[in-house]
Amino acid sequence: MAASISGVFSESLQNAILQCKVLIVGAGGIGCEILKNLVMTGFNDIEIIDLDTIDVSNLNRQFLFHKQHVGKSKAAVAKETALTFNPDVKIVHYHDSITSSDYGLSFFKKFTLVMNALDNRAARNHVNRMCLAADVPLIESGTAGYEGQVELIKKGLSQCYECTPKAAQKTFPGCTIRNTPSEPIHCIVWAKHLFNQLFGEDDPDQDVSPDTADPEAAGKQRVLFQKWDFNVFGVFNEILFFLPDTAAEGALQNESNDKGNVDRVSTRGWAENCDYDAEKLFTKLFHDDIKYLLSMDNLWKKRRPPTPLDWSYLPDGVAGCSKDTMESGLKDQQQWSIAKCGSVFKEAVANLSKALKTCQETSPGDHLVWDKDDQNAMDFVAACANIRAHIFGIPQKTRFDIKSMAGNIIPAIATTNAIIAGVVVLHAFRILEHNLKACRSVYLRLKMNHRNQLLVPEKFVNPPNPKCYVCAPTPQAVLAADTTKMTIKELDETVLKARLNMIAPDVMIDGKGIVVISSEEGETEGNNEKTLEQVGIRDGTVLKVDDFHQNYSLTVTVLQREQPSVKDESPDFLIVADDEDLKPKEDITISEKPSTSNGKVEKVEDDDDIDIVETEISPSTSEADVPKKRKTESPTNNTINKKRKVETNNQHDDDVCIIEDDREVEKVALSVLPAIEEKILTPRKYKSLPDDDCSIVYDGNEDQSTASSPKRSKQLAK
Amino acid sequence: MASPAPKSPEQSEKNRKYDRQLRLWGDHGQASLEGAHVCLINATGLGTEILKSLVLPGIGAFTIVDGKKITDEDIGANFFLDSESISKSRAQVATQMLLELNPDVRGDYVDEGPEQILSNSPDFFNNFAVVVATALPEKAIILLSKKLWELDIPLIICRSLGFVAHIRVQVREHTVIETHPDNENPDLRLDKPFESLKKHMDSINLEEMDLKDHSHLPYSIILYKYLDKWVTEHGDLPKNYKEKQELRESIRSGIRIDEHGIPIDEENFEEAMRAVNTCVSRTTVPSGVMEVLNDDRCINLTAKSSSFWIIAKAIRDFMENEGLGLLPLKGAVPDMTADTEKYIALQQIYHKQAVADAEAVWRRTLQLLRQLGRSSDSISEKDVKLFCRYAGDIHVERGSCIADEYDSKTTNANEIAQSLENPESMMVYYVVLRGVEKFQAEYNSYPGEFDDHVEPDIVKLKSCISKLLGEWGCGPLAKDDYVHEFCRYGGSELHSVSAFLGGLAAQETIKFITNQYKPIHNTFIYDAVTSNSATFAF
Ligand SMILES: [Zn+2]
Repeated sequence: MAASISGVFSESLQNAILQCKVLIVGAGGIGCEILKNLVMTGFNDIEIIDLDTIDVSNLNRQFLFHKQHVGKSKAAVAKETALTFNPDVKIVHYHDSITSSDYGLSFFKKFTLVMNALDNRAARNHVNRMCLAADVPLIESGTAGYEGQVELIKKGLSQCYECTPKAAQKTFPGCTIRNTPSEPIHCIVWAKHLFNQLFGEDDPDQDVSPDTADPEAAGKQRVLFQKWDFNVFGVFNEILFFLPDTAAEGALQNESNDKGNVDRVSTRGWAENCDYDAEKLFTKLFHDDIKYLLSMDNLWKKRRPPTPLDWSYLPDGVAGCSKDTMESGLKDQQQWSIAKCGSVFKEAVANLSKALKTCQETSPGDHLVWDKDDQNAMDFVAACANIRAHIFGIPQKTRFDIKSMAGNIIPAIATTNAIIAGVVVLHAFRILEHNLKACRSVYLRLKMNHRNQLLVPEKFVNPPNPKCYVCAPTPQAVLAADTTKMTIKELDETVLKARLNMIAPDVMIDGKGIVVISSEEGETEGNNEKTLEQVGIRDGTVLKVDDFHQNYSLTVTVLQREQPSVKDESPDFLIVADDEDLKPKEDITISEKPSTSNGKVEKVEDDDDIDIVETEISPSTSEADVPKKRKTESPTNNTINKKRKVETNNQHDDDVCIIEDDREVEKVALSVLPAIEEKILTPRKYKSLPDDDCSIVYDGNEDQSTASSPKRSKQLAK
Repeated sequence: MASPAPKSPEQSEKNRKYDRQLRLWGDHGQASLEGAHVCLINATGLGTEILKSLVLPGIGAFTIVDGKKITDEDIGANFFLDSESISKSRAQVATQMLLELNPDVRGDYVDEGPEQILSNSPDFFNNFAVVVATALPEKAIILLSKKLWELDIPLIICRSLGFVAHIRVQVREHTVIETHPDNENPDLRLDKPFESLKKHMDSINLEEMDLKDHSHLPYSIILYKYLDKWVTEHGDLPKNYKEKQELRESIRSGIRIDEHGIPIDEENFEEAMRAVNTCVSRTTVPSGVMEVLNDDRCINLTAKSSSFWIIAKAIRDFMENEGLGLLPLKGAVPDMTADTEKYIALQQIYHKQAVADAEAVWRRTLQLLRQLGRSSDSISEKDVKLFCRYAGDIHVERGSCIADEYDSKTTNANEIAQSLENPESMMVYYVVLRGVEKFQAEYNSYPGEFDDHVEPDIVKLKSCISKLLGEWGCGPLAKDDYVHEFCRYGGSELHSVSAFLGGLAAQETIKFITNQYKPIHNTFIYDAVTSNSATFAF
């Protein structure tokens, strides 16, 4: 086939195509298309890696897979199908996670170039770092519905994947989820947690029972609770005092632990004891626990109190849903009555407990993994979320919508993937011709922009952000956290691994040579429960963090920042590349280039592991680190207040595109963040999707082809 | 349990398979797709790429028209062909391969060229939803475009040549109900409340409410109350930023305070203030919609009028009568911080009115059908409801016949000439592509197709181009590079360019079939060397 293009390609490009070795990370929608394009162009040394297996919902676009392949390895089948048409190509496949230590620096260095076709940020971050470390060009791509983008990442030449801060994931305070939900998403998150409590991996942060440490329950002004450690005990005493006899029956014990959970037989243990009896589970979750919440009567002074439900008398009528009720729909899009939710709950519990039992028979201690495409798992979450919504007087949602929200579903179609994969391989030609400067980022838009463009290229390759905490010559970051509260374990897991995407970090206190976290097992476990302060990390301490696997070293300066109050939606810690970002927004000069605003598609998130992610619409940098618009009585500090003001203004603008009216608001926004301008003037479609009141996540790519997420253990038994 | 347990809703295999796309075009979009039969002319690499992106999402059926036998070159350009298929019918093998991609799809082929079919069986094309053609010679383009223009069937002509991709969409008239606008403002009618809404609003007294109710009132009610007050005081809606800001402040003043004088956290009031921009404006009929409703096709229906125009006319009649000058109510209420009872009460009011409006339009539709002597089931109530829901954003696309571009009297020579004056314009690609077509027609090969002919072909191609430019009254091209480039391509197809264009062409086909989203208007050109692209309207 190279023969047919002999006239079109220069001789050097033809040779480069024949001789190069390329890696495709991800064999999903874009990955399949890229593989086909490469094979058709004459590439003959291709490796492809994907952790995932084929799901029915992949078949509408991942054309190398057919129905008989469901359940098999994506990478293996992609290779097999491609070879049936083109047996002469050398293709190596790995059914594995790219973040595994088997794929280290020397693995990446084998390749002339790497092409990402991923669906989650963690894996993208990881491949980004590996390619920077190996100095191999990386083509990053993604699609979301009709939109997509392709960009080159090359050390020293272009922005890396982490040069511009991505929106952080939205988290909800535990007590909102457990005690006082007010939006459908709160109920959906709760229902997913419940799934894990009953059938999945036990995570103490996902407790679903009433949170007795809710400071609000003590009936004091929140302003009193800035130092919540002081108050926790007070709260406990009062709560215990309130404990009504009815709610304290049976499984409920009166002892609280330090996390605010009432100690008791674990939810799982309890469910097992009653043999997953749907009625008993229902009564505990939707009657007894609610009654218990009602007893915390300070919570309901200003709120509508929840209504416990009785299994024998479930309302049969269909309550209104927040979605257009006129819209005709799939079965999936119809609103369920609570009675129906009850029966769906019953059936799902029966099937899931059976599935759990089956999988534990083969490997004891194993558990199910929530999967939005598993009918029972999804039915369970939809039913529980709606029942809970009903109890709290929150609008119910259809199963279809709940699936979007719970699964962070990114719509995906064959056409967009085909277009984007075409552009990826065209970028590959330029790289092989050493014409990297021509690899401008390209954005595919749903609609023409004002210049009648459907496909919008950048004017030039975006240069690296000199302050990037990943690709700068000496990467630096600032961690603002409460050193008296944060433990070493939290530093390791929440900050370094979850937030900074490291795989196996080593941490040393600069100047002292004390190793506080070691990637070698058994060396520093003793530090786990100590606070940062206890091991000598204070305001101004500099940490040398190394991840040998990623060949990534980062210098972290610690800033003392008081832990926010429990009800505050701001995160426990902030991490920024530039401490300027911690200052009020008015003072920020943004490092992001304005040119990125010409139609950039939201980079997408994991779809399985997280609850929800905000889109990048609002001001970049530390936006996610600013408390949400919520008004707090407690004036925290000036910095935060100023930020809030600006953000509120921008929120006005997100909903609108009225320009003349809001000059004033814009002025604020413009003076603050030049990069935001176009974003404000061209509101993005995800903000106005009728059914996404909780921003659905748009990530670059597919929903399934997780060639990464190391946590993924086992699919549900089907 | 109180009622017999209904079974868990079954999610059919099909719904699961199409889940990710149903979220884009809905089940009615999917139904349209599954009911559509498309025709592909020439199963080139590009052609199969296009069909692949239609077969995967589940097009109802396809027919391939292609009289050619498979050559070495096809195997190099088409992923689905292997060397064993050489000299077999290209239409037949491609059909088989594509059918394997999705068992829900039906497909057949005709082992003849399009020109043969056009002369032998002129009715052949009558029942296709869309016809897509690749690698079509000039003569066939003209014949086919005239025929399909006459039949009022959309035609998409695509060409993948070296690093250049070109797509031309021909549609006589295409009506779009769901345009999926970027920002759809809620249709709350706060300035012109319908009777039941006004009654509901008037029954609510903010001052007398207890705090719990006060802070759980849907924001639109708050907005209505303060807007009402504003209008009483000022005689009109707030018009500019300053006035809207004043309205916001007046809403802010309604937030209750606690015993310490500190404003209480009333999220619904915050929402009301935020909604001032989107919800406080005069309810009118958008000018684009007015244009459609005043179109001759709307006003003067005929027995052959499409459902779109009949419903449009029904809406027009509705507006002039019971609609009091406004479109039917959308009926959707945005999410609001509120308790369920109050939210649902409000939702019901909008919902009922929307149903009533849609019913009125439905009755008028039936009346029109009767007058036109059409059966009453030729339009469903569901279609009318959908139309009413999206009436504020409907779009009518009117295109031009491709054949007109091949006649110097009817082509848009001005546009070409003007664009060529701009050295940045991609119009030059169009000119060279037309030159290549002319070259093909005259010499029966692509310029540069044979290695030893490249130099003479450059001269010949230049002369083809000058002839065209002369016909259009344009001066010569500023630079020759493009001519050299196209001769270097020698008519070969780059798979990645075809993959790109295949996705794009399939996307346009789906837009036509689902009547969702506005199509490209009407020529798109992409240069894969520079990543630049442009659209032109001929
Ligand atoms: Zn960087």
